[in-house]
Formats: sequence, C-alpha cells, structure tokens
Amino acid sequence: MSADVPRGPPGQRRMPPRGVVGGQWSQFSGLTARELIKTFRNPWVILITFAQPFMWLAFFGSSFANVSVAYLDKLLDAPPGTGYLDFLLPGVLATSMMSVGMFGSMSTIQDKRFGFMKRILITPTTKATVYLSKVVGSATRGLVQIPVMIVAAWAFGVHFNGSVLMWAGWIAGLVLLGIGFSAFFLAITASSTDWQTPGVIANFITMPLMFASGALFPASNYPGWMQTIANWNPVGYSALLGRGVLVYANPDWLYLGYLGLFALLMIVIGTLVAARYLRTE
Amino acid sequence: MNGYAIVTEKMTKVYGGGSLRLGIPGVPPSARAERGVPRSPPPVEDDARGIVAVDHVDMRVRSGGVFGLLGPNGAGKTTIIKLLTGLSDLTAGTAQVAGFDVQKDPLEVKQRVGWVAAEVILDDDLSGWENLWLQAKLQRLADWKGRAEELLKYFELTDRKKDKVGHYSTGMRKKLEIALALLHEPELIFMDEPTIGLDPNTRQMLWQLITGVNREFGTSVLLTTHYIEEADRLCSEVAIIDHGRFVAQGSPAELKSRVQADFVELETAEEVTDERLRGIPGVSEVRTQGKVWMLKVASAEEVIPNILRALDAGKIHRINVEKPSLETVFLNITGKHIDQVGADIPDYRKFYASMMRARR
Ligand SMILES: Nc1ncnc2c1ncn2[C@@H]1O[C@H](COP(=O)(O)OP(=O)(O)O)[C@@H](O)[C@H]1O
Ligand SMILES: [Mg+2]
Repeated sequence: MSADVPRGPPGQRRMPPRGVVGGQWSQFSGLTARELIKTFRNPWVILITFAQPFMWLAFFGSSFANVSVAYLDKLLDAPPGTGYLDFLLPGVLATSMMSVGMFGSMSTIQDKRFGFMKRILITPTTKATVYLSKVVGSATRGLVQIPVMIVAAWAFGVHFNGSVLMWAGWIAGLVLLGIGFSAFFLAITASSTDWQTPGVIANFITMPLMFASGALFPASNYPGWMQTIANWNPVGYSALLGRGVLVYANPDWLYLGYLGLFALLMIVIGTLVAARYLRTE
Repeated sequence: MNGYAIVTEKMTKVYGGGSLRLGIPGVPPSARAERGVPRSPPPVEDDARGIVAVDHVDMRVRSGGVFGLLGPNGAGKTTIIKLLTGLSDLTAGTAQVAGFDVQKDPLEVKQRVGWVAAEVILDDDLSGWENLWLQAKLQRLADWKGRAEELLKYFELTDRKKDKVGHYSTGMRKKLEIALALLHEPELIFMDEPTIGLDPNTRQMLWQLITGVNREFGTSVLLTTHYIEEADRLCSEVAIIDHGRFVAQGSPAELKSRVQADFVELETAEEVTDERLRGIPGVSEVRTQGKVWMLKVASAEEVIPNILRALDAGKIHRINVEKPSLETVFLNITGKHIDQVGADIPDYRKFYASMMRARR
C-alpha cells in the first residue's frame, strides 16, 4: 500500500452548497446518464430500436397492399392519394411511445433485485429523484425511435407534408406522450420486485389503448364504447396530431395541449406515488 | 459531536406484523431475551406481531474506532445497518448517526456515512471509474477526480479502472466498493459482513485494509460479522447481538475476562442425565443441545480426567474444549455457538411464516 494516502480531515467536509430542488440535480443527472449509458451499451437495444420501425411499416403497412388507394382513402376518410402508410405512421409512432415505460420499469426492478437501489438510496438521493431519472431515461430511449422510424417511413415512400414548426409540435407531442406513459408505468410498478410485472402490465394496457385510439384505423368506424375510450386516449391525441401534420398539413394544436396535460398529471401523481411506495428491495 | 458516531435509544424494528404492532413502542423487551436464559425456538407471539428483528437496542459507538456487531445469522445485524443508514424506518425508538437524527434528517446522515454491502453491490455494466463517477454524482461531489484517483491507487485498482466491473475478481470488487464508500470522506463507514464468502487470502488482505482505512483515513468503522476471529482481530469494541438484542458489549479483552471459565463440549452414546454431569467435580453448569452436552468448567485440563472417570470413556464420541474467547462469551450468555449448524432453523420458520402470509 502506498504511503501518500488521501486523508479526510474529520469534521471538515467538502460539501457543495445546496442547489435548487432540494439539491437533487446532481443525483438526477447522474442517474439519468447511467440509464442511457446502460441502455445504449446493450447491442440488443440498438438492434431492436432500429429493426422495430421497419418491421411495423413492412408488415402492418403492407396489410392493404392489394386494396386500391381510392377505396382505402374513402375508408380512412383521408384526402385522395394518401394511402395506408401515410395514415399509419403517426399512429405507429404514438403506439411505440406507449411501451417505453416498460424499459424503465424493468431497469428499476433489476436495481431492486441486484441491491443497487440500496446503493442509491443510501446516498442523499430521494425516491422521487430515482423515479424521475427512470422516467426521463426510458422516455429518451423511446424517443430515439422517432428519427429511425421517420427515415424508415421515407424509405417506404411515405409522403411528407407540413412545415418545420408543425413537425416540431408533433414531435414535442410524442415526447410528452412518452414521458406520460413512462411516468404512469413506473408509478404502477413502483412497489413491484417481480420480473413479470412490467410485461403483464404492458400487455394489459398496450393492447386496448392501441386499438381504441384511432392510431391504426380511423376511430369513426368504431362502435360507441370504443369511441368513448378513444376520446380519452392520449395515444389517439398523438396520432390525430401527427395525422393533422403529415396528411392534412393542418394540425389541431389542442391535442398538443391535452398531451401536455397528460404528461404533467402523470408526472405529478407518479412522483407522489414513488416517493411513498418505491420499494428498496 | 461529543465523541460518539452513533447513539441509539430503544431502537426497535418489527417486520410485518398485524394489528398488535400498534402496541410496540410500549412493549417491554421480550422476556426470551433476558440475559443468560437459554433460548427455545421463537415464541408464537413473534408471528402474531411480526418479526422483531431489532429489539430495544441502546447503542453507543465512539468516533474513531472499529466497532463490531457480532452475532449469528438472523440476529439482526443487517437490519441495524439499514436502520442507521436510513434505508429502513425504525418501528420505535431513536437513532442519531454522525450527529443527526436518522428519522428527522436522513439526507444529512446519508452524506456523512459510507456503506459496504455484504453482497457486493456495484453496477456491473459500468467500469470502475464510471462507478466512482456515479457515486460522486449521488453524493454531490464537485471535485472528486483527484480523490478517486488516490483511492484507486491505494486499493491497487488504477490499471483496471477502465474495465467493466463485471470482469473484476471478488477481491477487486470488494475493494472498489470500499473505495466508493470512502469517496465522499464519510465520518463513519458501515461494513456488513465484509469478508463473508471470501477465500482466506482475500480475507487477510481485507482485514489489513479495514484497519488501514480506520487508521489512515481516520474513518470510524462499524462492521458486522459472525466470525469470532474477525471481531477479535479488528474491533476496538464489540457488541454481541442475539435475537435482535445486545447481550454484551465491551472491548474483546474485557469481554473475555468476564467469562472466567472454559467450556467442554461432550458427545456420548451413554444415557446420562443433567444431575449426573453436574455431580462431576469442577463442573459448574450443564446444558444440552440435542445429543451434545455443554459443560461450563473452571479449567478444562483439570476437569477432563474427572469426566473420563465419571462416565463410560468407551462410549464418548467426542470431547471439545473451548478456551476463553468471544465464542465462550457468546456460549456463556446464550448457551449456543455463534456459527452453529442449524442455528438458522428458526429463520426458516419465520421465512415460511412470512411466505404463507404473503400468499394470503
Ligand atoms: N425484509 C424483511 N422482511 C421480513 N423479515 C426480515 C426482513 N429482513 C430481515 N428479516 C428478519 O429479521 C431478522 C434479522 O435479519 P438480519 O438483520 O438480516 O440478520 P443478520 O444480518 O444478523 O443475519 C431475521 O429473522 C430475518 O429473517
Ligand atoms: Mg446480514
């Protein structure tokens, strides 16, 4: 052992001054960065992130390949020459934001199982901070799918409409949707330590919200009860906002407001839930 | 802070438990934990009001030393660390750590203590350096790189700092964990069973490191262990803990001097009775553990010939002598070995009880 040993003068400690938000920024940024480093170091994540958009568009987008565009446009209630892919793209992007919370949820359960949550919570880090870092981490992971999918759509021959500003609004809406769902997901799995939970919940919420949203088919063809769900479904808001940009070049910005409200509500409720119920192990 | 790193009063932790739990703050320390009384398996009341993992512990740990919590599996050692670091809430009582109340100012406590887990806990996907970086972020250290480099050098990890921690050996992982715990210059560092599962060489190395950390960094250490030798070698003060209660406390030398006796452990095929064994000259106390007899004697050397005369020497399977050590201190108080085979059977019972509860 070396002689020049670091010495901690007892009682005299280098502690940075308390910052805003109870001094949790350092912990939050560190944990979020950890989340992203771990995610993008995993080759499977990269593969799936890139493969999934292509598969969606290739398989789902080809479902109506033998149907005439004119008939399809009538069915979809879209302007002539739109085609199913143009209609579908905003819906698929919205749908893919729905399951991003699952990633954060699984990484949280892993941290509980491997004891890392104890390592975090034995430092001056609050449960709310851990929760928020997981929300942002998993939402960010979902967001990298957006550019990939747009490139994929372009490769499949989707027509792009709308101004830069409209696109920015649409993407902001997707970000809010991703944050909202990831906040929701992480809150309901806050007290879980079971590997199965995130998958079960993902199946349980993804399926109904995907189909009762107007993301994949126009909601005007739904029965009444499904339209009611669709009216309250943030996935639908994002799909309609995107379609407003991509198909009509005339988005209804109210949807962006709804999405903002959804994200805010989920974050506030989720933070309260996590501060109380986030399990350590 | 007036020379004490830790002060607790009636610190109590009950896991689970039903409505009876409301009565806990006032309950007298459970009778089964009275000094010197040999214990039967946990009473049924334990299940009704949950598992009393830490039972009215009054604890004073002086700054600057190495304090050891010595006790068998399931004694409540890990739980005490969880309570003192704010990982788990106290059911009753108070605890002051590094000058702050754990329940009122947990974040103040947490930035003044370090923690080394029994099961090494690191992020295996990150490198050694990245683990240090994250720890610095979590402890809000602005200026940590110099100290991190120094620690890596001290623990001889510098040339592996860029490797993923998943590829480290067990000894290296343990060292890195201690480096993490020391990064923010804590006043006090908790080490839960620091050498459990390590090979003898690594254990030796770690013993040196722990002493080094205490002397050279001036950091108080609280460690838990169920190895007699470890407590004896490392600790300036030892508290012996059993069933969540402190049953003795003092420096290893003090504790040993309190037991002016040897213990003789005896296994025989002969049918013998308490009375017959107690009648052997020099035997002061007799206890049984199934087929094994435990005799408290003034001097084993003088009593063994008496035993051989009094019993049928041909039927004796085994005679084992325990000279004064922390083991005999524990034996004297609880009537059992710290590392006894089967000592954790009550734990299984509790475990299954809690499983049954969880299923319902
Ligand atoms: N999370 C928990 N829930 C219920 N019981 C627990 C929990 N953690 C520990 N226990 C029980 O509390 C007692 C003390 O455990 P612990 O503190 O881990 O002991 P030690 O570290 O000395 O081996 C044991 O009976 C154990 O089964
Ligand atoms: Mg333990």
